[in-house]
Amino acid sequence: MQELTEKLKKEIIEVLNLEDVSPEDIDADASLFGEGLGLDSIDALELIVLLEKNYGIKIEDPKEGRKIFASVRTMAEYILEHQKK
Amino acid sequence: MEAYIRGIGNISPQATFDNGVFLEEIREYRSARLQAIEPDYKQYIKPIQLRRMSRLLRMGVTSAGICLHDAGIEKPGAIITGTGLGMMEETEKFLNGIFDNGERLLNPTAFIQSTHNTVGAHIAVMLNCNHYNLTYVHGPVSFENALLDSLMWLAEKPDDKVLTGGVEELTESHFIITDSIHFWKKGGISNLDLLKDKNPGTIAGEGAAFFLLSKQEDPGNYAIIKGLSTRFNPGKDHIAVRYTEEFLASHNLGMDDIDLMLLGLNGDPVSDETYRPLLQHLEGKTPGAYFKHLCGEHYLASSFALWLAARIVKSQAIPAAVMLNPGQAPGKINRILIYNHYQNIHHSLMLVTSC
Repeated sequence: MQELTEKLKKEIIEVLNLEDVSPEDIDADASLFGEGLGLDSIDALELIVLLEKNYGIKIEDPKEGRKIFASVRTMAEYILEHQKK
Repeated sequence: MEAYIRGIGNISPQATFDNGVFLEEIREYRSARLQAIEPDYKQYIKPIQLRRMSRLLRMGVTSAGICLHDAGIEKPGAIITGTGLGMMEETEKFLNGIFDNGERLLNPTAFIQSTHNTVGAHIAVMLNCNHYNLTYVHGPVSFENALLDSLMWLAEKPDDKVLTGGVEELTESHFIITDSIHFWKKGGISNLDLLKDKNPGTIAGEGAAFFLLSKQEDPGNYAIIKGLSTRFNPGKDHIAVRYTEEFLASHNLGMDDIDLMLLGLNGDPVSDETYRPLLQHLEGKTPGAYFKHLCGEHYLASSFALWLAARIVKSQAIPAAVMLNPGQAPGKINRILIYNHYQNIHHSLMLVTSC
């Protein structure tokens, strides 16, 4: 789990071009959208593409996104849960 | 139709983004590819906005911001942009994504930023400016047509201020493709020796230049755009001298009234042949200057020429590097005529005068 969250942080920084952010700056439990990293709806689309491209997980129901992308940890949990299937 | 140039912003292969200096140092390149000297964008754009912007978008938005700041204007009455190829880097990224991922998993950012009007739209969003916003994609006369629309807009709405400009980028793949069809010179020629090299081809460039145009007199104005003309595909019998004389006559001027002729010489013998009769006609009468050794050849090169003319008229100083004959520099520079053409197909003239 720890390994996956660290990997995800690096991938998020790269995909979203967060130039001045390092993995250490991202709290795994902090909100990705709104007050946390301050991501927006276009970033959400980029994260959907990231999940499918890097982990082979396709989000069928867009409403799920709110829960999945709540934080890095919820993303990691979702990946672990769905990669087992 | 005419308008004052109230503010300028220019990012080019020379150090031009600082309006406090004027070509004090000329950058020499020893390749056929001239890349823009970019400022530290963090000084101009918020990090949250910057992270998603492509290189050309950063260049365009920043040069527009420099221009507005120079003019002391927060929100223009219109934003009119020209671009020849648009957002090449993002278009390539988007198309490569389609290819690499089997037409699936496409990144939204590259798609959003691949449209030609991205720069004009972003400037509007950043300024919260809902006014007239148009982007002209007319190849080598994109800037001229953006400028023409700006002058027409001001003719109808003389109280407005118009932000007009041009953006063009040179990507690696575009350079390689055009190099393979012999657009560019070979062998590491210096851009400062461009006209000495008699081999085919020219040097490639890029840039983003914006101008704030207005009908109001102001001590801060740089120059006046007095006239603009474009001519498409005039054919083999096109005579630059006659075209120039007809244009000047329409402004009740003759060749002798021009203090400096700024020509789009690009070092390609075939392309430069078009200017030869004009140069012969000017010899000993009107000093000549050129600019493409500084900015490279690209669809929006004429926007660099307008920037150069505005700076010369305002400062009454001509950088020695642009003179065809440095010993022939005029004392007073009231009228500059810019003649540019692209592959002898698209010709344009711009008349710039002092205020």
